[in-house]
Amino acid sequence: MNQDALSRELALRIGLAARALPDTDAKRLLAVLADCTGMPMTESQLANIDLATLKAAGQGEFAKVADDVLQQALDILKNTASEKILPAVQPYEEGEMPNSVRIACASDDAIHVNGHFGGCTWFMVYQVNSEEARLIDIRATDIPAGLVVDDKNIYRAEQIQDCKVVYVASVGGPAAAKIVKLGIHPMRLEAVASLADIISQLQQVMAGSPPPWLAKAMGIEVSERFKFDREAVG
Amino acid sequence: MALYIVEADCISCGDCEPVCPTQSITEGAIVFKIDKRTCTECEGDFDVPQCVKVCPIDNCILPLEA
Repeated sequence: MNQDALSRELALRIGLAARALPDTDAKRLLAVLADCTGMPMTESQLANIDLATLKAAGQGEFAKVADDVLQQALDILKNTASEKILPAVQPYEEGEMPNSVRIACASDDAIHVNGHFGGCTWFMVYQVNSEEARLIDIRATDIPAGLVVDDKNIYRAEQIQDCKVVYVASVGGPAAAKIVKLGIHPMRLEAVASLADIISQLQQVMAGSPPPWLAKAMGIEVSERFKFDREAVG
Repeated sequence: MALYIVEADCISCGDCEPVCPTQSITEGAIVFKIDKRTCTECEGDFDVPQCVKVCPIDNCILPLEA
């Protein structure tokens, strides 16, 4: 799974954030961050660190650093700075992953499913089966200059028309209807979660007993899958 | 004459259940299902079957072959 790829991006951001701080190398920053989150460090723990926590952490290691400098480092860490770090896209050939589905996740930071369908910066597109998940594309949602689009949400849905599911932090009713019309299943999360968590949740469902529509999307014969359940029900 | 829900397409949204005038739709073990003994295809109540009207998926609720 892309747990490794994700921590590579995190390592890169920690390195860049350290560079934004005076006389700080990645090791020093990592020690302070580990004091806030414990190890292993997860993206959601990191997302919870605010300025005050960072200042107090590591017995006030960064207490004397100016607020705006620290905030800049935090923005880099959380990938909310204007220059964002994007994970590497992996190659994928059609049919390479058996019983897989393609999903899109609305994201503003390339770390979490935190985007509104109609407003997110990217759709992170993954090919997922129960054993593997591959980031195969990162699709920007900007409408190209000069292109006239009647309906922004239809345009956005068309960008991910090859996906079976789209995970969003929020989506409006009419937009959801347009997504469904294109054969994509919208999934609104109750709370913001990291891309890695969402994918591992989906993989658990895929490995267990997926609902019929998902089994169909995975290319599994529903009758095979649920024969026993149905017999049990009568 | 009755309708049925295509199991492989139903996403269990539950939108159809409350609109059925004969309370023929219930949540089954896997997806929602229509009781063929009581489903009237809304005849006498509405011009078109209400479940088909509200279902977000195309061709998910179809007439049972009699």
